Amino acid sequence: MHITLNIMRQAAGAPAEASFQSYSVDTAEDATVMDAMLQVRDEQDGGLGFRAGCLRGFCGDCAYRISGTGDLACLTPIAKVAKEGAVNIEPVRHIGLLRDLVYDLDPFLWDKVKAVRPGLTAPDTPPAQEALMEPAVVEDLQTVMSCVMCGLCDEGCTVITVDSKFLGPAALTKAYRTVKDPRNSAAGLELDLMEKPHGVWDCTHCYEANGHCPKKEINPTYRILAVREMLMERGIKNKAAARYHESFTSSVKRSGWVDEGHLAISGIGWTNIWGLMKFLPTALRAIRRGKAPLPYLHKKRPGADRIKRIFEKVERK
Amino acid sequence: MKYAFYPGCVSRGGCPELYPAAIKVAERLGLDLEELKDVGCTGAGALSSEVSDPINARTFAKAEKMGLPILTLCSTCQGVMSQANLRLQEDAEYRQRINEEFLAEEGLEYGGTTEIKHMLWAIIEDVGLDAFKDQVVNPLEGLRLSAFYGCYLRRPTDVMAPEPYEGRKRYLEDIIEAVGAEVVETSGKSKCCGFPILMKNERNSLQMAGDHTSEAKGKGADGMVTPCPLCHLNLDGNQPRAARQTDREINLPILHLPQVIGLAFGLTPKELNMPRHIVSTKPVERKIPLRT
Repeated sequence: MHITLNIMRQAAGAPAEASFQSYSVDTAEDATVMDAMLQVRDEQDGGLGFRAGCLRGFCGDCAYRISGTGDLACLTPIAKVAKEGAVNIEPVRHIGLLRDLVYDLDPFLWDKVKAVRPGLTAPDTPPAQEALMEPAVVEDLQTVMSCVMCGLCDEGCTVITVDSKFLGPAALTKAYRTVKDPRNSAAGLELDLMEKPHGVWDCTHCYEANGHCPKKEINPTYRILAVREMLMERGIKNKAAARYHESFTSSVKRSGWVDEGHLAISGIGWTNIWGLMKFLPTALRAIRRGKAPLPYLHKKRPGADRIKRIFEKVERK
Repeated sequence: MKYAFYPGCVSRGGCPELYPAAIKVAERLGLDLEELKDVGCTGAGALSSEVSDPINARTFAKAEKMGLPILTLCSTCQGVMSQANLRLQEDAEYRQRINEEFLAEEGLEYGGTTEIKHMLWAIIEDVGLDAFKDQVVNPLEGLRLSAFYGCYLRRPTDVMAPEPYEGRKRYLEDIIEAVGAEVVETSGKSKCCGFPILMKNERNSLQMAGDHTSEAKGKGADGMVTPCPLCHLNLDGNQPRAARQTDREINLPILHLPQVIGLAFGLTPKELNMPRHIVSTKPVERKIPLRT
């Protein structure tokens, strides 16, 4: 099969000068994108920079945007992604490059993973017997541990697009694995780390990460939501998130539905004068336009008492 | 076609213009809506599923008792309900536990049969585009609109657009074309508007709103249409703040789905409560033909 590979190249430290370089190769019909890239490097251009580790989807080194979609080059059949005999290969989004397709992984991935302390801490007193785990827990943790840290979930993240400091789904999924392990005696500390600024509460739960992960069973967004449920149960320590969730919960519990006026103000904080001042023009505009009609009334919905009973039953558990 | 109507909190709260516009459009489309009045908020992803699943199961049980599918007006309500419904449908033991612990005392039981549809889905799948077009008396020719879905109407894909509903990823564009307007494609149309983190990270939230609206504006859109009132709150309500933060002039009118449909069905901007928006909708109004 004759294929043209258009590979994005750039010299070290010169992102502004990145450009596509085209290579023509004859590959086997069942070749992967990585097979073709290796062929180019072996036969045509020994200076082409990219990482290639295990070549079987285990190391996560070869995550690229292949014809516009993030995927692992070693698992992607070239025939599947070729458009009119050509395949474009570019770096994933939001990542720094050392040169060509060689990533600077520390700021993109590893610094964030380290920030959530991805490891298990043994209890001070050694347990009297072997730590036994429920099969369902083991299975769940093994699923998450099948993550190859390719970073494709971070590549698709809508928050990292606007905030490169956001921990991102890859590190938060790694953290899930740590805090969900019943043998870990320091899960509380790791939950604290996830609650810091740029942490778990900044996730918009847009579910992009689930779709970008090449392992369909990991579902990073579900892991982030599961961590949030742990935090809600434990008591949220992040102040902004705590204010928001407390206000939302009390509103639905009281009236059956969300009191948005109350939520907006208590979400900012009743004593946060600067925050309230910044919000004031929006509020006045809403009142002037009739978007927030005066007098502001938030009435109980019919059946609100039934909703309240559901809250109370859950709280009693 | 009759539905148990779940208008959600925002269509009567932060976006009071949406509810009456939706009712007017539904009448013309023959969507017979019987409102579920004594049901709770879906939780919107802010309540733990331990609380929100029983609240939603209660809503589903009431609709099941009426023998009707639920119709929603909000991508977030739809997303949260679809996911809760899947959990309750797939796990009979879980459903049974919720029935016994929370619903039985009210004489309710959820059997797992309720279908939940956003108005956008109901229009395409139940009314059909041909019947929809029959109602268009005022084609919005010359108007350039970009679509903005809201995350939860599109993802998780296996829940929101499973086979054979892959076409749901283009329904909004189908409507834009059916009303006679032109689709302006944007890269952000299925991304997050930023609303879910407005109270937690305002800077990031407003950046998202600013990026999406200015992308559409830069590509020549006269307006943006959304089936999600929460997206509307951020894209319209917070657009002036987003413009200030990102140092841009934006002024892009954001229309609710029923408003775009209503204009094509011959309703006036006033009848559709468009003057209530934060960002003036006049640029859209100036480009549509006057009702005769």
